[in-house]
Amino acid sequence: MTDVVSIPETEIAPGRVGGRMERVEDERLVRGLGRYVDDLDPPRVVHVAFARCPYPHARIASIDASQARAIEGVLEVLLPDDVLGRTGPISILRPIPEAPRVMPYALPREIALYEGQPVVSVCATSRAIAEDAVAALDIDYEPLPHLSDVEKALAEDAPILHPELGTNLLVQNPRGDGNPEAGLAESEVVVDDRFRINRVSGLPMETRAILASYVPGVRELEVVASTQAPHLFRKQLSDSLRFPEADIRVTTHDCGGAFGLKLGIFAEDVLVCLHAMDLGRPAKWVEDRMEFFRGATQARESLHVARMGASSDGTILAYTNHYYVDLGAHNSPMGSPMLSSLMFQGPYSFTHGYVERNVVLTNKVPVGAYRGYGQPEGCFVRELLLDRIARKLRIDPLEIRRRNFIRPDQMPWQTPGGAKYDSGDYQRCMEMAAETIGYGEARERQRALRDEGRYLGIGLACYVEMTGYPGSKFLGKHGAEYGAHEGVVVRANRSGGVDVYTGVPPIGQSTETAFTQVAATVIGLDAAKVRVIAGDTQGTPVNTGSFASRTLIAGSGAIERAGREIRDKALRVAAFMLDVPVDGLELADSVISSVDDPEISVSFADVAINAFYGHRLPEGELPGLEATAYYDPISSAFSYGTAAALVEVDPETGEFSLDRFLFVHDCGRQVNPMTVEGQLHGGIAQALGAALFEELVYDGDSGQLINGSMIDYFMPTTADLPKIELDHTEVLSPVTPMGIRGIGESGTIPPGAAVANALCDALAPFEVDINRLPLTAEYVWRLVAESRAHA
Amino acid sequence: MTQTLIDVRLTVNGEPVERAVEPRRSLVDFLRHDLGLTGTHVGCEQGVCGMCTVLLDGEPIKSCIMLAVQADGAEITTIEALNGEELHPAQRAFKEAHGLQCGYCTPAFILTSVALRERGLDIPREELKEELAGVLCRCTGYQNILTAVETYLAADD
Repeated sequence: MTDVVSIPETEIAPGRVGGRMERVEDERLVRGLGRYVDDLDPPRVVHVAFARCPYPHARIASIDASQARAIEGVLEVLLPDDVLGRTGPISILRPIPEAPRVMPYALPREIALYEGQPVVSVCATSRAIAEDAVAALDIDYEPLPHLSDVEKALAEDAPILHPELGTNLLVQNPRGDGNPEAGLAESEVVVDDRFRINRVSGLPMETRAILASYVPGVRELEVVASTQAPHLFRKQLSDSLRFPEADIRVTTHDCGGAFGLKLGIFAEDVLVCLHAMDLGRPAKWVEDRMEFFRGATQARESLHVARMGASSDGTILAYTNHYYVDLGAHNSPMGSPMLSSLMFQGPYSFTHGYVERNVVLTNKVPVGAYRGYGQPEGCFVRELLLDRIARKLRIDPLEIRRRNFIRPDQMPWQTPGGAKYDSGDYQRCMEMAAETIGYGEARERQRALRDEGRYLGIGLACYVEMTGYPGSKFLGKHGAEYGAHEGVVVRANRSGGVDVYTGVPPIGQSTETAFTQVAATVIGLDAAKVRVIAGDTQGTPVNTGSFASRTLIAGSGAIERAGREIRDKALRVAAFMLDVPVDGLELADSVISSVDDPEISVSFADVAINAFYGHRLPEGELPGLEATAYYDPISSAFSYGTAAALVEVDPETGEFSLDRFLFVHDCGRQVNPMTVEGQLHGGIAQALGAALFEELVYDGDSGQLINGSMIDYFMPTTADLPKIELDHTEVLSPVTPMGIRGIGESGTIPPGAAVANALCDALAPFEVDINRLPLTAEYVWRLVAESRAHA
Repeated sequence: MTQTLIDVRLTVNGEPVERAVEPRRSLVDFLRHDLGLTGTHVGCEQGVCGMCTVLLDGEPIKSCIMLAVQADGAEITTIEALNGEELHPAQRAFKEAHGLQCGYCTPAFILTSVALRERGLDIPREELKEELAGVLCRCTGYQNILTAVETYLAADD
């Protein structure tokens, strides 16, 4: 169960599974030759801009578009009434269980529910003219009382945002097992608190963007979009436009970052398509950054009311968490995040647990998927409570985790949250982290420095992460409008290689490279002979897309199957051509040869060409050399690991330095260790951004976003991040192709908790308890000041 | 509101360019949409994210907060100037170090590195972090970008 693979990386050729292959994507990207949406300027292209509601909640009393329409170059102005009769609502790809589907239309009927909601859509010959026209619109808004947080939204006298629901609580989803109340009553020590997780943005460097072209008469809608799931984008466009999916093609050539945010369609996508269809000209919209902060889905914000109880030796006896997700005004295609519930147990073996998700409607931009999908939030709350228990019981944080880990021999492990952990050695990752950071010495230094008035802290946080879905049937039971599978077409070409057709678009996660490595390894080709054609709904099998840390698990399963089929057929055809038995042949480095006599050989290219011609084939063998295959996962695979942070805090100012940060993880088989490290670096950087700097701040009085620009929203730069130290184990998952576990989201999960625990550790003499993010110097200073005031 | 056009003359990637532009046309829109040089990207139009970085007379500038008319007489270098069948050493360094993921910020970092190398200084990593802080990246966490730039700056001619 816990075999640690120990093949030295250097022995694996770069183009094989496990090798550090340089990325195939990079040849175009380092030259600036990627094709992002705005790089395309087709002839006669027209441009779209939107009037957006400036209030968090308002009745649209009247709209006068006469001056806007009179501007030279303005081609079309769409008002709500123009849109509502001809479009359906924007569908939800992943509905919240048991929740009413609160689906928005492309433009609001009468009431705008958040600042930034599109209200009028304008199309003109240039973006500048479209924006001039937006400025010339006369829209009369009547501001309504607004709700800027979950507590206000749940207050008894709160206005109801969607009157048909009768409440702002969209749904309450309980999960749990055992008897948590009894567990807490039995506990020697119980800690509890209210944790506030900040609202942040995934903030891809390329904003949302779409280019739609429509050919009248032929009735084809060609869309180029910056999305992580072109096939799902196509399906949703079809739903909303009430236009046959067969006549829509969606392509993503390159996508400048997505991180969950570009999952599904937005109102703007529907409107741009309407303009293209009405005008018979290509219509483009590239979101500007001011729009982005008020229109693109946001993430994470939630209030967690949690309790944890333990026996005197630190064994966790019970854990409960009632949390309130600030969903914003309505559902997004993937909101709200689900995994705070499913993964609330983490790596610890308690059996009394209860978690309750409350999804609350407010007057804010809707929350959507963001890398981690609820897991960073859940990890933060759980890991901070565990450290509080450790401090109360005077047990070292390292030791209390040792006493609670699920052991390898307890796998598979069924959690009270409903997850089934497949395998793993959770403690081993933590021990490696402790050793690398020099845990024992750090404790000694901490003691020594405290005498000098310096405050050093060591923080740990452990996580288990759900990667991939446990199959399409599971998703079906939960009402999802997609499956868990991936499908590929693999087709041999005359150049001695194969073309791999996949609907998974390039969004930065190196799937072209990883798919290349899998295909090359399975078939027996040079990696240079594999070409991945990605992200186009035309010519690729129906698939799901790049999200939920599932792409490589499902995608490699499909490539493995298609590749084996091609390999087997190539061997049969080669055996016929060489007049030898098939059993003695092997395919390696693009050549098929006899194991006994390598002189007897034929190139893969010649076999493919012969198969295309069909000139010399065994009896009953059909021409062609290609295969379509699907893979549907049988279970989720659970990645895991530990983050460790070393900080030094100045209690007089609250300033602190993050002196070391390291991350030890297991993602099973690493198809490409170089890109695995890249995924972790990126996820960790986003997590540290959210932990230290980032927060979308809404003014409680006006309900408006205060810091919606790049100047005011502090995304980390090169100068703001510590060196990230990585290490890993490689326990193969028994439930996935090649033992892969997902890795794209892991980095986002434990960093915030590790830094917060390090700060609490450093400031233990002041007995401070952290209960929110981000961890600004001001916040830390306030904690110390409050502690001193009560001393 | 169509505006009066103004003539600009400048040099872009070694080629003389003469165009009549709207005074409100930003330099980055001019490069991308009038000249078709789409390797320079747009991220915030506010001079913060650095996606639009190009070299103006050899110095990195943010072309989203400069008007095309202000670049009259200047010499502009974009990523396209580096492109050939073989990768430019800076491009190769980014590829080898896995210094990019989605690739949107990459031309900006590469041009910034080229300008740094022109200065010919030996820059320690802590200072390099400050030098590169004018371009943002959401994918890489910067670690491999720093390695790529260091490798490129340290390479022999």
